[in-house]
Amino acid sequence: MSEVRIDAQPRDEFGKGAARRIRRDGNIPAVIYGHGTDPIHITLPGRDLTRALKQQNVLIQLQLGEGKTQLTLPKSIQRDPLRQIIEHVDLVVINANEKVIVEVPVITVGSAEPGSLVEHADNLTVLALATNIPTSIEVDIAGLPIGSTIHASDVKLPEGVELAADGDVSVVHIVAPQTEEAATPAADAAAEAAPAEA
Amino acid sequence: MLIPRKVKYRKQHRPDRHGAASGGTRVVFGEWGIQALEPAYVTNRQIEAARIAITRHIRRGGKVWITIYPDRPLTKKPAETRMGSGKGSPEWWVANVKPGRVMFELSFPNEKVAKEALTRAVHKLPMKCRIIRREAGEA
Repeated sequence: MSEVRIDAQPRDEFGKGAARRIRRDGNIPAVIYGHGTDPIHITLPGRDLTRALKQQNVLIQLQLGEGKTQLTLPKSIQRDPLRQIIEHVDLVVINANEKVIVEVPVITVGSAEPGSLVEHADNLTVLALATNIPTSIEVDIAGLPIGSTIHASDVKLPEGVELAADGDVSVVHIVAPQTEEAATPAADAAAEAAPAEA
Repeated sequence: MLIPRKVKYRKQHRPDRHGAASGGTRVVFGEWGIQALEPAYVTNRQIEAARIAITRHIRRGGKVWITIYPDRPLTKKPAETRMGSGKGSPEWWVANVKPGRVMFELSFPNEKVAKEALTRAVHKLPMKCRIIRREAGEA
């Protein structure tokens, strides 16, 4: 996992008015916390942070001024659903040698039974060394028949990575597609049967 | 069509159309979704028309999710009626959709067909929309 260096400015004004002023200037308000430390409110350059956060679980080395640095990991990212801009970021303090619980993207490899649909979880929660977080977890679905399920406990994890989620969680599910014939008449029949008023 | 089976009160006030969606703004079930860009009341007929547009285009091999529900009744007074004499009778069932809300989701292996199916569905809806894709690993 790569590390990104970003200059942080301390933030001493709060509330939506101040946050909007910060965003107007092309910056993003953020907060750092964790390991029992007091929260530190900061402002980060929008362009650098947006570029860094394109990669999930990226390690961010913050330059806090006066030669002080802090290694952090993004914990929560608030985005505007319409404009797709980052509104605020929560960063959690980490040590390079500690293990952290993170959500890693799941990628399917191969193709299941022809004509089937693959439903898979976005992320899998794992425990990994902060400096050794996998960028993705590959799940092989080659030749799987319709109706088969891969649970979290069945996923082969990279070396040094442990599963933090419940082993019974479904990660990949191969389902049969929906047919037009099955979908339309049932819905119409239900509409006729249901009176609109109580 | 989608209609509540039973409601506690037959007539409601018109729902608030201000603000943005506070949830349901990401594609979570399928691979593709239709996201509202404007507020609107989406009737159960419009939802059904959009669903049919999608399923007719993909024929088979996909799966559709409807992530809104028309649970608000709108009333209307009959034409040429004087004011007063109480509230009109329920006329439509609508979902109060706010900007950012994902209304339909689709899982389909072919990107071109999936986009075309959703574009046809957008034409049945009363507001500006865009087609979005599920973001892998979005935090």
